[in-house]
Amino acid sequence: MTALPTLPTRPVVSEAPAGYAWWRFGRYSILVHRRAWSSGFLLIAAMIIVSGISLASGAAGLSPWTALAAAIGQGEPMHVFLVQELRLQRLIAGLLTGAALGVAGCLLQTLARNRLATPGIIGIDDGATAFAVASIVAIPTTLAPSALALTGAATAAGLAFGLSGGAGARGYRFIVVGIAVGALFGALTNLMLARTDMDSANQAYPWTVGSLNARPAQAVWLLGIGLLAGLPVAKYLGRALTLMRFSDSVATGLGVPLKRMRVMTLLLTVFLTALAVAVVGPVGLIALAAPEVARYLVGHQGVPVFNAALAGATLMSLADWVGRTLMAPIEIPVGVIMAVIGGPYLLWILLRPSARRAP
Amino acid sequence: MALATFNFPRTWLRAFMLFTSVVASVPSASWAQTAEARAVETAFGTVTVTGTPSRVVVLSENALDTALSAGVKPLGTVSTRGSTGVSRYVQDKVGTIAIVGTARETNLESVFKLQPDLILAAPDLPKAQYEKLSLLAPTIVPSTAVTDDWRKSVSLYAEALGRQEEIKASYQQLDQRIAALKARIAPGQVASVLRWNPQGPILMSSHLFAGQLLQQLGFKSPALAESLTQRPHSDILSLENLHQADGDWLFLATLNPEGEQALAQARNQPAFARLNAVKNNKVITVDGQLWSSGAGPLAAQKILDDVEKVVAH
Amino acid sequence: MSSSASRPQVVKRSWLICLTLVVLSVLASLLIGAGDVSPGRSAQALWSGADSEARFIVMELRWPRTLLGAMVGMALGAAGVILQSATRNPLAEPGLLGVSAGASFAVVLAISLGSSAATLNLGVAVAGALAGCFLVLLVTQLRGIGSDPVRLILVGAAFTSMLMAISTLILLSDQRSADEMRFWVIGALAGRPTETAYSSAPGVLLGLLLMLPLIRPLAALALGERVATGLGHHPQLTRMSALVCVAILVGTATAAAGPIAFVGLIVPFVARRLVGPDIRRTLWLSLLIGPIIILFADTISRLVVKPYELPIGVVTAFIGAPILIAVVRGHRLPTL
Repeated sequence: MTALPTLPTRPVVSEAPAGYAWWRFGRYSILVHRRAWSSGFLLIAAMIIVSGISLASGAAGLSPWTALAAAIGQGEPMHVFLVQELRLQRLIAGLLTGAALGVAGCLLQTLARNRLATPGIIGIDDGATAFAVASIVAIPTTLAPSALALTGAATAAGLAFGLSGGAGARGYRFIVVGIAVGALFGALTNLMLARTDMDSANQAYPWTVGSLNARPAQAVWLLGIGLLAGLPVAKYLGRALTLMRFSDSVATGLGVPLKRMRVMTLLLTVFLTALAVAVVGPVGLIALAAPEVARYLVGHQGVPVFNAALAGATLMSLADWVGRTLMAPIEIPVGVIMAVIGGPYLLWILLRPSARRAP
Repeated sequence: MALATFNFPRTWLRAFMLFTSVVASVPSASWAQTAEARAVETAFGTVTVTGTPSRVVVLSENALDTALSAGVKPLGTVSTRGSTGVSRYVQDKVGTIAIVGTARETNLESVFKLQPDLILAAPDLPKAQYEKLSLLAPTIVPSTAVTDDWRKSVSLYAEALGRQEEIKASYQQLDQRIAALKARIAPGQVASVLRWNPQGPILMSSHLFAGQLLQQLGFKSPALAESLTQRPHSDILSLENLHQADGDWLFLATLNPEGEQALAQARNQPAFARLNAVKNNKVITVDGQLWSSGAGPLAAQKILDDVEKVVAH
Repeated sequence: MSSSASRPQVVKRSWLICLTLVVLSVLASLLIGAGDVSPGRSAQALWSGADSEARFIVMELRWPRTLLGAMVGMALGAAGVILQSATRNPLAEPGLLGVSAGASFAVVLAISLGSSAATLNLGVAVAGALAGCFLVLLVTQLRGIGSDPVRLILVGAAFTSMLMAISTLILLSDQRSADEMRFWVIGALAGRPTETAYSSAPGVLLGLLLMLPLIRPLAALALGERVATGLGHHPQLTRMSALVCVAILVGTATAAAGPIAFVGLIVPFVARRLVGPDIRRTLWLSLLIGPIIILFADTISRLVVKPYELPIGVVTAFIGAPILIAVVRGHRLPTL
């Protein structure tokens, strides 16, 4: 392995914390990273704006104020119904999945020290898709596709984990094994789609590209709970990963239990991704783009878990809004929109010389 | 996210209340039990429909065909394969119709905007979609499989539309034409429906819509097509076994208008050229869309048009 | 891997084994089918024309298919070896690097622009593979990425997923193309027109000819870029020509049989196991191993779901994925 990432030249914590501020609450005080907080607020503002636009626009356009009023149950019953039943639930599903995928991507990228290492690329998405498609076109079952997508994601991750015999150095082995497992599931999905008739293939279609149109409510609930539980853990792991960014020996020297951290990070990544794909299907590029946006805003300090969540939520709902309105009444699935926005960006990451530097 | 989660429980709480208020506010969408209300058995349980709905949205070609046959002009439908509009064979009958999505995904807001009082959907509608659609209007999802009698789902749609008489009339028309055609076709001939793909041929099940019609016309089908009772078509058939799809007549289903091109391609294949139907020049290229999954009285007439070519031969 | 003293013997033995296996795989492909003509009848039909049914099936159906399989196997196997040497990466596989995705993408484009999948021009897929290859080339141009096994494979996976998504967008409102593509996206040798074997021969030959002058520079490159330069080679030029060569081979194979994944990974892996990492040995051997793998996989694909056919791409994926896993698990990743 010749292209080892270069070591950062300055330490994260310095004697005089430039760019930090003390927040004092009586006897207590917190040291905060100014840029992280300001970009956090920026992202929250962006998210609120996108949410407002998303709630207001659609086949029947409303003014943002009407839409917001309708969202909290005020105004004409028709508007309230439209916004609450059709738009708000979809928006919430988008925000939650975006946040979960953003965090998952952020963790995995940091772990692998490679910004291309996203949960979608390592086979979790393919596993979820294969299972969901199977439940629709191949194996008659009473279970909802989203439940099977969850199972599939877990199966793919479990296979990858079992077959790679642990995380391996920097999780690389896990990633390549994940790609192999993903390729297998991909072949199976293609086989199933070729064997079935077009109508069933059509029904399975949202699960092959990723869509937020009419998602099952239970899956959204589950994701919401999972995200609430997962975020603090992610934040905790993020701190440890910050130290791991230097090098294994430095991290060990600083008292990070490397192996356990790697396994825990992978597990959390799989957990969040699985819950998210059970709702939306494969939208891998969110996990690539959201941490990227977060890092850009925060600057390359630490592991921006919360900001990646916010960026993911904003991006996902923005992409869904575009897909919903661009070619209306034809729905463009959010996964396709993300790929088209994210594609050129991905190429840019691949092609610029500094791509060698790890995040 | 803060905004959204804040409202989340209330959304659900309100859903129920809203439900009643919306129903009351849309004059035509009355779910209330009245004298002429009828219960329709669907894949998602019993659905009550009142009167003869006039604001109908159809989410499958089958339903569109049925509605048109029953004399209802739907307000909206989904676009079909190969085009951004409706199928060619119903184009002159639909008048102005709104497109509310594709066969893959329905745009719920577009349906909402049309204020339907009845929604007719395809048998395989996902549950999550159903839950949303049924909030907009009574939604009819037949619990039929592709290999069931095609009239089952058509009759169900007609029942929901409150227009059984009209559909019965179209059945009668169809039966008369079938009887007339049957008299002109020598009985006991084997007809098979084949689709030619780049990786080899697939045989269509004889239990599909088109196969059912062929059977009524007195055609037999290859044993292999007969054995496909659960699936609409076979896997890619090995060329070595292509003779199992042979018959007196071969209907070659193609998805593009240039059926002749696909036929020429198939003829290049020695295994295809050896088939009796091919040697005897008894191959008829037909619209694959119509012959593989389309269903409805109008589509049936269209298929009979194709079969009439057999007679002309 | 054996000591240098016994190397020639090992090579000789490997050649013998492979030649035997080639003969066996060709025989299997000719004698075993999904139909009801038994291997015995088929064998008789090889010598005499008395049984016209069996003769037709063996000579008109199985023989062109066997020929096509052998050709595709050679092309994909050689392409895999060349790509792995050029990138010095044991995980490099045309299918994983987006070359196949490029070809598929071009086919989607062509189909959606109105041509039928059944009558598609070979050139379209070759052009797509070339375009895909061009992007891989751009990426490997950047110093250091090409030889980092995992990074390269991530680039490929990312590139593939992007192309798939754009294909999806193209197919979004075009159901007819989507329907045809369902059958195209997994490679298969079944149902190809007889002349496909002959029409793809020039492409494969061209690719193999272009490969000849590259063997020495690639072998030098294996010793390191500096050594190669010192020996009078131009590493950058070598890599680019190698990639063009790979694109021609993979493009032709993909056009003929659709995307068949993992063959370009399995073949070099097996070849290295047999005769060691030297490309001067593995490349020639790969011309035998490729057909062996394709033909055996194809024979399996005929038998699994009789009287139907399983696409060969599924079979190779099931052979290849475990090998990919074996490569990364092996020891530390070898750098070629």
